[in-house]
Amino acid sequence: MTDVPVSRIRNFCIIAHIDHGKSTLADRLLQDTGTVAARDMQEQFLDNMELERERGITIKLQAARMQYTAADGESYVLNLIDTPGHVDFSYEVSRSLQACEGALLVVDASQGVEAQTLANVYLALENDLEIIPVLNKIDLPGADPERIKEEIEAIIGLDCSKAIPCSAKTGLGVPEILEAVVERIPPPADRVAEPLQALIFDSYYDPYRGVIVYFRVISGQLQRRDKVLLMASGKTYDLDEIGVMAPDQRPVDSLHAGEVGYLAASIKAVADARVGDTITLAANPAPAPLPGYTEAKPMVFCGLFPTDADQYPDLREALDKLQLSDAALKYEPETSSAMGFGFRCGFLGLLHMEIVQERLEREYNLDLIVTAPSVIYKVNLLDGSTVMIDNPATLPDPQKRESIEEPYVKLEIYTPNTYNGTLMELCQERRGEFIDMKYITTDRVTLHYELPLAEVVTDFFDQMKSRTKGYASMEYSLIGYRKNDLVRLDVLINSEKADPLTTIVHRDKAYNVGKSLVEKLKELIPRQQFKIPIQAAIGSRVIASESISAMRKDVLAKCYGGDISRKKKLLQKQAKGKKRMKAMGRVEVPQEAFMAVLKLNQ
Amino acid sequence: MSPPPRSAYLHIPFCHRRCFYCDFPVVPLGDRATGQPGAPGAASIAAYLQLLHREIAAAPAGPPLSTVYLGGGTPSLLTPAQVGELLEALRRRFGLAPAAEISLELDPASFDERRLAGYLAAGITRVSLGGQSFDDAVLAALGRRHRGADLAEAAGWLERARHRGALASWSLDLIQAAPGESLAGWRQQLRRAVATGAPHLSVYDLTIEPGTAFARRLERGQLELPEADAAADRMDLTWAELTAAGYGRYEISNYAFPGHASRHNRVYWSGAGWWGFGMGATAAPWGERQARPRTRAAYAAWLESGQGQGGAAPAPTAGMPLDERLLVGLRRREGVRLPALLTAAGFAPAERRQALAELRRRLEPWLADRLLLEEGPRWRLADPAGLALSNGVLRELIGWWDERTAPGRRSSGAVPPPPAPVPAAAAG
Repeated sequence: MTDVPVSRIRNFCIIAHIDHGKSTLADRLLQDTGTVAARDMQEQFLDNMELERERGITIKLQAARMQYTAADGESYVLNLIDTPGHVDFSYEVSRSLQACEGALLVVDASQGVEAQTLANVYLALENDLEIIPVLNKIDLPGADPERIKEEIEAIIGLDCSKAIPCSAKTGLGVPEILEAVVERIPPPADRVAEPLQALIFDSYYDPYRGVIVYFRVISGQLQRRDKVLLMASGKTYDLDEIGVMAPDQRPVDSLHAGEVGYLAASIKAVADARVGDTITLAANPAPAPLPGYTEAKPMVFCGLFPTDADQYPDLREALDKLQLSDAALKYEPETSSAMGFGFRCGFLGLLHMEIVQERLEREYNLDLIVTAPSVIYKVNLLDGSTVMIDNPATLPDPQKRESIEEPYVKLEIYTPNTYNGTLMELCQERRGEFIDMKYITTDRVTLHYELPLAEVVTDFFDQMKSRTKGYASMEYSLIGYRKNDLVRLDVLINSEKADPLTTIVHRDKAYNVGKSLVEKLKELIPRQQFKIPIQAAIGSRVIASESISAMRKDVLAKCYGGDISRKKKLLQKQAKGKKRMKAMGRVEVPQEAFMAVLKLNQ
Repeated sequence: MSPPPRSAYLHIPFCHRRCFYCDFPVVPLGDRATGQPGAPGAASIAAYLQLLHREIAAAPAGPPLSTVYLGGGTPSLLTPAQVGELLEALRRRFGLAPAAEISLELDPASFDERRLAGYLAAGITRVSLGGQSFDDAVLAALGRRHRGADLAEAAGWLERARHRGALASWSLDLIQAAPGESLAGWRQQLRRAVATGAPHLSVYDLTIEPGTAFARRLERGQLELPEADAAADRMDLTWAELTAAGYGRYEISNYAFPGHASRHNRVYWSGAGWWGFGMGATAAPWGERQARPRTRAAYAAWLESGQGQGGAAPAPTAGMPLDERLLVGLRRREGVRLPALLTAAGFAPAERRQALAELRRRLEPWLADRLLLEEGPRWRLADPAGLALSNGVLRELIGWWDERTAPGRRSSGAVPPPPAPVPAAAAG
């Protein structure tokens, strides 16, 4: 099956906004080409992780090879390369686009183009991909394909005269899509004779075989017995197996330019075979790697601490294991007088952070305290040196600092124009600088702002969604560091500094944040048998304070012969709940309190 | 091994009606029930008493009883003769010790002075009067059948009997923190209770138990309970008023003049065993509790099957588990002798020292604030502040015990099993 001529290969991906039906369409393509029999079809075949399925989003990308006999009577190999659908994973998206010659742009025929889609379409255009617009969900009553076509033409400048109306759910339009893939997407360049260059666009960790690497052969050929060199990591491996995803892994003897496949080579961690790295032959290496490789850099940081100090070794082991399959996850030990031993972890974004936290709790059975997310600050010291700070509690004292710089992002919000006002207000509140606003159609606009990343990684996304009833979408990218008048806001609980609650805020907002923070903590920390002062302070100056009055009564009214079992069970349950709290000094603090800074507006 | 029980509880499930807060195993007979032959429910009562007699007669032998408690329900729905027959049955099976404390629960408006005389003649020495409140509005809100005047009248009969020497002691129950009652209203209740002369007062916070009328109303947002601080104010006031009136607080909810503490209830808090008879009754003759079925039919079937105490004496067990002994023991003014309890629970001397050190560490904030006091071998909660917060200490103790006894926990040196391998992200 690998003797397919390059001219009969088509490599493509699907670009779509969450919920616009990408997974359903992918499933439908697999079914219609007979790649997966209907009876073997799990819903949303490409989204394999349990978490992904629950959230209805794609985190890990995957690929599938389909055999398709076109109207011209020829048999084609269609490789569908899936792309993740979240802003946290835009680098992965760019690599999978690089592995394709074309893309299906799937747009909901009633909802239109969203910011996320737009960003990915631009990426696809930059990569010279042939784009086939597909209008999905045309079977739904609200569908208005003509309006959406106009919108796509207006926004992206794509010719929509040949846009394909479809319903991935019913299968309508799917044969037309398959024909369009063959007709309109160009075959890969025939570079079989050149030295091997294969682009890694995904990998995952298999506990039995080591890392399984997904790649697209750009040039040359790969044989099963070859020894390969990964050009960025500089490591060489003897191959255990190569093959294609059909969609189950099927070993083959060789793969040539244009093909998409996987390899297993007893690679220990995904960090050794990073997305974007180039595979070549150790014996006859390509003169240069493929362009565009970068290491995914964490942008958001938080502390992870086990509620039960005894679980620290378990947490370390779990993170070690997760990192085998998640190259973007970074962590290092962190010790806090308040929290004991834990880890400072770096993530691509908030979603990535939530996913890791959930996996740790669910798959490894850990009880965790997660501190509020932070970004990396660049602190210029008076002695001329610069330090990067990912933990607010470690921000050097003011007398040592010359200035603080914080990361800024370019933010694009795509919204119905009725929500302009509220979104602009939100961006102003979050220290955003207005750049421009464009009407894309008569009733939809893009808002363009530059604002500090720190303001985006808190509850910005949730706020945007709730203020626009879910209609707005957003996209952001890092544009560099800017100096700002920032201060470290400490929280003192019962007169002891609570490191994990320390935040870095703009001086102008410090008072308001401090005030709401202590109020929120008062709400979240249960009363205890003594009065607990809660203060927010900049340096030694207290700017806001509250106190939780002492609990005066916590007692079982009666307990006679028959009551004992029930009362004991009640106390046992409460004792277990208490274990999920973290003792900070004498105060028991529940998990939610550590995220208080994210909930100030609720 | 526990010594054999010297106490017995008899459950009389019949009531006029079920009060809004009640989750006891009771059988409401309607407001017109009197317990007299021919009155509504009389046949039910007679049938139930047959079962109760059967259970008592089938119990294994034991030493004479020094305390007996007839609780309910409303045991004043029994005639004095029926009460007398039950006591006679206990006397036949176990014997009654000289000066035994024999308590009967009575509800106002369910007996008169003549009937009281009949109970006393039948052998009752102590009465527990389910007064709850003198305030008609509160009584109505609680779903009680009687009125404040009924309570005052009944209290008068009891106090007169006590002064005559016909009744050794009596107790009045009050419900604290009833919905809608002001702090001033509660002070009024306490003063009226003191004025009755009752030598013993049980003051219980209204507790909303699952399945009760109140629980349903609370769920629907139709019941407003006092805020935490308001409830604390009431508890503080109770302590202040009653201690000023000469009562001693010998347990979290119980106050008595010297010599009038309930001997029977002390048994529950001491960890000693007791016999229990009747539907829904809990027995713990050897320390481990055995609950009886909570409906009459199930209770009858259970008796029929020969389970429980019938036939051969059950194998004596190790007694009440340590966490329960602490749970009940720390409710008392005198607290517990902790080293002795640890020894009884099987701790060797070295283990005992270690356990005491660990408990001191866990309970350090409580000890430091003098809410919990360690006085030689005795650990007790300070009165009133420590008792008012006792759950905090109990959670620590119970948490400690659960960790020690849970299978595979660290105390046994076992390491938790390693987590499962990460599931592969692709179908493979």
